[in-house]
Amino acid sequence: MAAAAVMVSSASGLLAMLQEPAAELKLHALANLNSLVHVFWPEISTSVPAIESLYEDEEFDQRQLAALVVSKVFYYLGELNDSLSYALGAGPLFDVSDDSDYAHTLLAKALDEYASIRSRSLKATGEEEMMDPRLEAIVERMLDKCILDGKYQQAMGMSVECMRLDKLEQAISRCDNLNGALSYCINLSHQYVSHREYRCEILRCLVKIYQTLPNPDFLSICQCLMFLGEPETVGNILGKLLSGSKDDALLAFQIAFDLVENENQAFLLSVRNRLDTLSVQASAQALPSDQTDNAATESSGDAQMADNVVTTNGSVHTVDSNEVAHADRLTKIKGILSGETSIQLTLQFLYSHNRSDLLILKTIKQALEMRNSVCHSATICSNAIMHAGTTVDTFLRENLEWLSRATNWAKFSATSGLGVIHRGHLTQGRALMAPYLPQSGAASGGSPYSEGGALYALGLIHANHGEGIKQFLRESLHNTSSEVVQHGACLGLGLAALGTADEEIFEDIKNILYTDSAVAGEAAGIGMGLLMVGTASEKAGEMLAYAHDTQHEKIIRGLSLGIALTVYGREEEADTLIEQMTRDQDPILRYGGMYTLALAYRGTANNKAIHQLLHFAVSDVSDDVRRTAVLALGFVLYNEPEQTPRIVSLLSESYNPHVRYGAALAVGISCAGTGLSDAISLLEPLTSDVVDFVRQGALIAMAMVMIQTNESYDSRVGTFRHRLEKIILDKHEDTMSKMGAILASGILDAGGRNVTIRLKSRSKHDKLTAVVGLAVFTQFWYWYPLTYFISLAFSPTAFIGLNSDLKVPKFEFLSNTKPSLFDYPKPTAQQTTTASVKLPTAILSTYAKAKSRAKKDAESKAQEKAEAPQSEDASTASTSMQVDGGAEKKAPEPEPTFQILTNPARVVPAQEKFIKFLEGGRYEPVKLAPSGFVLLRDLKPTETEELVLTDAPATQAATAAAGQQGSGASAMAVDEEPQPPQPFEYTT
Amino acid sequence: MDPKLVEVTQLFSRFKAAFARNDFDTSVSLLSQLKVLLTKFPSLPPSFQQTPNAVEELKIARDIYEHAVVLSVKIEDQDAFERDFCQLKPYYMDTCGIIPQSPEEYPILGLNLLRLLVQNRIAEFHTELELLPVNALENACIKHAVELEQSFMEGAYNRVLSARQAVPHETYVYFMDLLAKTVRDELAGCSEKGYDYMSITEAKQMLMFSSDQELHEYITEEHPEWEIKDGCVFFQKAKETQPCKEIPSLQVINQTLSYARELERIV
Repeated sequence: MAAAAVMVSSASGLLAMLQEPAAELKLHALANLNSLVHVFWPEISTSVPAIESLYEDEEFDQRQLAALVVSKVFYYLGELNDSLSYALGAGPLFDVSDDSDYAHTLLAKALDEYASIRSRSLKATGEEEMMDPRLEAIVERMLDKCILDGKYQQAMGMSVECMRLDKLEQAISRCDNLNGALSYCINLSHQYVSHREYRCEILRCLVKIYQTLPNPDFLSICQCLMFLGEPETVGNILGKLLSGSKDDALLAFQIAFDLVENENQAFLLSVRNRLDTLSVQASAQALPSDQTDNAATESSGDAQMADNVVTTNGSVHTVDSNEVAHADRLTKIKGILSGETSIQLTLQFLYSHNRSDLLILKTIKQALEMRNSVCHSATICSNAIMHAGTTVDTFLRENLEWLSRATNWAKFSATSGLGVIHRGHLTQGRALMAPYLPQSGAASGGSPYSEGGALYALGLIHANHGEGIKQFLRESLHNTSSEVVQHGACLGLGLAALGTADEEIFEDIKNILYTDSAVAGEAAGIGMGLLMVGTASEKAGEMLAYAHDTQHEKIIRGLSLGIALTVYGREEEADTLIEQMTRDQDPILRYGGMYTLALAYRGTANNKAIHQLLHFAVSDVSDDVRRTAVLALGFVLYNEPEQTPRIVSLLSESYNPHVRYGAALAVGISCAGTGLSDAISLLEPLTSDVVDFVRQGALIAMAMVMIQTNESYDSRVGTFRHRLEKIILDKHEDTMSKMGAILASGILDAGGRNVTIRLKSRSKHDKLTAVVGLAVFTQFWYWYPLTYFISLAFSPTAFIGLNSDLKVPKFEFLSNTKPSLFDYPKPTAQQTTTASVKLPTAILSTYAKAKSRAKKDAESKAQEKAEAPQSEDASTASTSMQVDGGAEKKAPEPEPTFQILTNPARVVPAQEKFIKFLEGGRYEPVKLAPSGFVLLRDLKPTETEELVLTDAPATQAATAAAGQQGSGASAMAVDEEPQPPQPFEYTT
Repeated sequence: MDPKLVEVTQLFSRFKAAFARNDFDTSVSLLSQLKVLLTKFPSLPPSFQQTPNAVEELKIARDIYEHAVVLSVKIEDQDAFERDFCQLKPYYMDTCGIIPQSPEEYPILGLNLLRLLVQNRIAEFHTELELLPVNALENACIKHAVELEQSFMEGAYNRVLSARQAVPHETYVYFMDLLAKTVRDELAGCSEKGYDYMSITEAKQMLMFSSDQELHEYITEEHPEWEIKDGCVFFQKAKETQPCKEIPSLQVINQTLSYARELERIV
């Protein structure tokens, strides 16, 4: 007998049998073909028409089998569409649970098809597209099977994609790990659902499920509600938690911090109002709680204030300690929701951890030619960025005379730079700026430029938290007729009242706009946009109409950016406006249209938007529009930074320098703070482009990408730093690229090396302020003072743990990697400056020789001189290192593989995945977040708490770190909060 | 013995009787019944399950299909021939080692080769030939077909026609007759290419027609584009009708220009 492996060598016999007149024979042939199709599909494919005709033969009783055979053959031929339609014809014979490639592929195809039909029918609601019931049946069978098999994640993913919320609900409710499933769904809806309305629907559905749970995850619910824009519900939840146990209150605080991180001012305001009304309803003691509220707004809550409130509360309501506790909690949560608590803690963190390198600034300052005002103001700007939010203005103080060279608009920028440095210094902001502010009544002695700059600076200080300063800015706007002051006031108001859609302020700014002055009008346009951010209000039409009327290009540009801001994040809702603007005759309005596309679809990676932008990038006649179109890609794609370098790589090689510039910035924006290797490789050649402004853009973009990465993480960072220095020191470099290099060195070390550019919050929401800030920042092409808007995009990379009193207790946790990987960059040594001095000297004759000898003597002396401060510098560095080492309790001889961090600590984004919390400590985090504000649950509440900022060694460490900053710093560090520096004045 | 096998054997003997009587209608209907019954045997291709009766079943199935092939020749049905041969083939190709070789194998394979030659499917002819073992080429039936093909290719049509006298098997006669027609078609094709015109007598001789009438019929049926006038056959018309390909110059120019424009935009 033959071996068992006897096989037919050809299917021709079976195919011939198909031609037989007898039906039984055909059936026999089909059944055998079905089992052999995987081997003989090439032979069968020639006879497919015959089998098809069998399927179409109404009298043949096994039509479905014929369909299945044809479907399989088409599958092997790669004709998936035909294959699917025949598989549908096969009906129940098509086995969903079959574990073959054929079944898997076709199921995927079926799902795709179904999902695309569903999404199409969602868009064209008018005419319902015909849905093949057979297709639906297959998909439902598939979903049911997944749910039965316990593959819940698959089922959820598929039902989200197929827009079957009923199935989604079913899948979630069957799942054993409900909270996990829900958070998975939330992630899903943010990452993969591009249609805004549908995303809202999913979230609403999720919230519904959440609310039925006995033990809901309030953190996630509130994130959902925030996206849905339902402040009342959030308010109710918070109210309930506040009146609960101590742990509940902690949770409420945590929620509040998470909400604040998303920077939606209007939403937070409504939540606060809701809490107010709740407390009024809840108890008859509404009056005192209102009083504390007033107190909170007046003194604009710092830590001491909170203490005061607690004590006053305690003395008034001795009757019921429960009530007192509740009122206390209410005050605290309001403080958090107003953003003041987090801003103040951030300020403390940035101040105490400031590691900016003044030597870099000094080098820049010395290298520059005095008369070049562009580089001069770029240096001032760079300083502001480097110290953003740290309140350290040592550099300005030390160079008052040099500073006074700034005149006119440069003076405006210089003054507003103070606002960046003191960003978030809400309590003292106005006092700080007082010397420059317009004096009401008295004859104004100051120049309008510094006055305007000061108003702008106030806006920057109070950006998105302008409750306290709005009124003052409005008054200043009323009291002036100088367009420079109006300019500053409009920007300041826009920033302070960001997104509040305040009617009165809008009217004020509109009046300025209608004076039709170019300078003031531009700022008014932007200011109106800032005010109405994301409201999609009808005001956009009004603005567009005026843009058509006016003659001034500056006003049109300001307005078009303003219009773009109003539709921030509205996605499809903005389509008509986008259409209107991109079709306009005026290139400036089309340019605004690009921004509209960018902001409406920010961080969605929406295919349609990308397609449109790419189209404009290659087809528009105006270079400005092209540049902006490419740049806008960065905004649309920032949720998928890995994609951007690939998409713009061709554009970065364009013949048109404007397109190259746009490509560089697009990468800079979307990959900001990631240190992505692809992005760096793309930008590297652009930094040595032939055109000066492309170099400028590439340098700035590179700095944005590399922010907070150090040399041991990516060696190219070191090369880039050297390159920046070379450009700045090179006398023959173009001013444009020089300015780029100066700004880049500022951005690279922004905020005392403790901030990064982050466009998405940790909960994956878009950060409104940051996105808006970057969008306006890119306008610096036309108007240098707008460079300062970049400070809105900075967010501190810190882990700040808080106890129930919102104080920073002593708490340690682990960074499970080599410390050097995420360490601060080493402070620069002065070596480089001496090297540049030592130029080779050409010797021409004996006379020259003698002369050169004399010169050499002088040179060596200079060298000696230069060495002295260098050694001094080294010694300070080493001492500070020793102090650090003591604090860490780890000898750094062989590089350890982990590092103990103490609260509050710098945790850069790339480091977050290495953060581990130690078990068995006194505190336990409420939420396992590796950075940001985290509430800590006290496991031993009876023991006395050790607070970090009053802790002696920690203060010393901070002093040592700040010691480099020069005089006054150590004195300030003793206090719990930095005192405002003395005002100083510079005059021309 | 398996009742199914018994049933088939009985039916098959009835079929053989009818076949011997040349009662073709009965044979055809019996044959289709037999084929249906054969589908019940799991040991037959393509499943080849090992059952106790496998050898007998395979043998009888092969026998049935061999008869089916011969029957289709007798009733002069080329489609049925192809169908039956295809179903028979697995028994020849895949069962060696299970059942002994059939004495009818080479005559039937040769018959199939002849059929392919008649239908002018030369490529398939050679494919089939390649599948045969080397020693099979010595067999008279196969050799016959191979020689015919060689003569056919060389253009030695007279040798092809004279080979009818030396057929190795009586069933071959039917295909040999058909081959004459194939040869005529080849000749007609060649003449068309080779000559502008040809006198009727020459054409008659060339295409092996005995009368003018037959020639006329052939021309109107097979080559309506030929023209008969002045006692000659003109092939000119067929050549003229060949379409002249025009260069789509405008379209090409347009395309090139638009490429150039796009290139300028993108780079």
